[in-house]
Amino acid sequence: MTATEAARERRTGVGDVLLDVRDLRTHFEVMDGTVKAVDGVSFSLRQGGRLALVGESGCGKSVTALSIMRLIEVPPGKFAGGEILFEGRNLLKLNDREIRKVRGGEIAMIFQEPMTSLNPVMTVGDQISEAVLLHQPVNRKGAQEVALQSLVDVGVPDPKRRLKQYPFELSGGMRQRIMIAMALSCNPKLIIADEPTTALDVTIQRQILELIKNVQERTGTALLLITHDLGVVAETVDEVAVMYAGRVVETGTVEEVLLSPRHPYTRGLLESIPSQGKKGQRLSAIKGVVPNPFRMPKGCKFEPRCPYAWQAGADEEPPLFDLGPDRMSRCWLYDPRYADHLAEYEGRAPKKSAEVAS
Amino acid sequence: MDSGATLEELEQRPDYDVQLESLNQWQLAWRRFKRHRMALLGSALFLFMVVVGLIGPFIIPYDDTKIGLPDAKFNAGRPPSIAHLFGDTGRLHRDVLTLVVNGTRLSLLIGVLASAISAIVGTFVGGIAGYFGGWLDTILMRIVDALLSLPLLFVILAFSQFLGEGHASWPTMVLIFGMFGWLGIARLVRAVMLSLREEDYVDAARAAGVSDVRIIFRHLVPNSLSPIIVATTLGVAGVIIGEAFVSFLGFGVDPATPTLGNILSGALEFISQGNWWWAFFPGAAIVLIVLGINFMGDGLRDALDPRAKV
Repeated sequence: MTATEAARERRTGVGDVLLDVRDLRTHFEVMDGTVKAVDGVSFSLRQGGRLALVGESGCGKSVTALSIMRLIEVPPGKFAGGEILFEGRNLLKLNDREIRKVRGGEIAMIFQEPMTSLNPVMTVGDQISEAVLLHQPVNRKGAQEVALQSLVDVGVPDPKRRLKQYPFELSGGMRQRIMIAMALSCNPKLIIADEPTTALDVTIQRQILELIKNVQERTGTALLLITHDLGVVAETVDEVAVMYAGRVVETGTVEEVLLSPRHPYTRGLLESIPSQGKKGQRLSAIKGVVPNPFRMPKGCKFEPRCPYAWQAGADEEPPLFDLGPDRMSRCWLYDPRYADHLAEYEGRAPKKSAEVAS
Repeated sequence: MDSGATLEELEQRPDYDVQLESLNQWQLAWRRFKRHRMALLGSALFLFMVVVGLIGPFIIPYDDTKIGLPDAKFNAGRPPSIAHLFGDTGRLHRDVLTLVVNGTRLSLLIGVLASAISAIVGTFVGGIAGYFGGWLDTILMRIVDALLSLPLLFVILAFSQFLGEGHASWPTMVLIFGMFGWLGIARLVRAVMLSLREEDYVDAARAAGVSDVRIIFRHLVPNSLSPIIVATTLGVAGVIIGEAFVSFLGFGVDPATPTLGNILSGALEFISQGNWWWAFFPGAAIVLIVLGINFMGDGLRDALDPRAKV
């Protein structure tokens, strides 16, 4: 059984669909017009599954995560279309009370900045037990016990003393552990981790990733990881959805996407990772910049930066072409009419992108 | 790696987190406050006046309602003597020391209670306006603007006339000053909230399912306590001066109940007859209290500033 098959097995074997985001559109009304931060994002995640949303800054991955938690401020934000089905319920249709039950209780979130994501004037114990009290039928004392247990679960040394400490007494890595403990404390079905290691030292990053992975495997909760780091993706998740300009441009298992990218953008991302195999070579980069949200290209959003671009469907946006089970690409290459272009794309083989996955 | 460890094992595990001598914000503030000489002087002054107000009335041998026998020779009052350290008043010969001690107690009480009401109402209104923003903020802040644009002193005079017909009880004065004192605090708290609500820990709390009201009062208000404490402290001085002023004009507390203001009010008539002690001692008490509070407030402002160096 190849790694890809194993991953697929695991994916299909995990269970029913837990989270199904369908054609999500989150727009922001600002002074100069409408910013379509998320414009047609679809992906799904099974119970206990692990999916990464990958993309550059500003591609809409964080907005997608915040939309799932309904943490987008409305206005200026606006859910212009689509639905977010969590266990069959559309989260966008829940009222304030109902969504508060989901937040923390069923979906927990770990934020990017552990240094500022804890309230400076509350003790660690109080902050964890606040969430516990909201979602579990326990009293204050019981909540403190749950808090202690979740600190034990994330391997915080001397957990009893930690409960009484304030965030300023802890290091960044320790704070991120506490954020993870907080997320775990209510046994959520899904944990969304928004760039959980970006703000940490490299030495701590690995520990925290290992911890998240461990915890995910132990508790069987699903994981939605938001990151721009393909190295993190390779180590942590089974499936990937690559985002560009507010859209999902490619989905597949980690092995599929990282070893044989089916979208020029993904290939560009992979080629721009420095690695030992490329020593002495000039590091390649995707030319150009992310499109201005007020002046989006009409057809394919990546076309102006795409090294393989030709005048395909000029003004028409490519659909997500289905390339197998949960394998999709939003590129005209996969339109049967352009088979010769696809041959050329495949001919220009990636230089060393295989290394990322190894 | 970490998973599966038990509580006992974790208690034993070496702790790589750097253990600094960690002081929380209040300990740091106290450390800065202690180095502020004027603040210590001010606090001592204020505490002294509080002690005078609290236990003075039980030590002084005279009753503040006691009236002396008429004395034709000293119609304008008797000057300070061993029996009456601060002298006595004209016409009714009440003991000025007794009046000042009781007046201090009542003026401080009015000041502290009215400021407490102001702080609570101001924090509530400012907190809601700043956190929610939008139309709620607009409505609440326009009300504050409208009230602040009134000439407050005259409004307070009118109110005390209306509520107490010139002989208000002291709780009425507390209410009147509390009713108008919260405006500044509301503006202050709103401004602090506007910046605090963008903090990451607010998002984290919302993501944990915490309600807006709880975020305001459990997370944000404790984080904005420093400016609220400073403003409330200075507010006490403001109310004491305001009350003295209103009472002096005869619109305040019933003259039979001594506050520092209405003691002065009675003294006015006799100053030209050489009775300086009746006005001097209550005036000095006001100055000491207000000076003490202002020094203390300055010290608190510096001590509670999170950007200050230790």
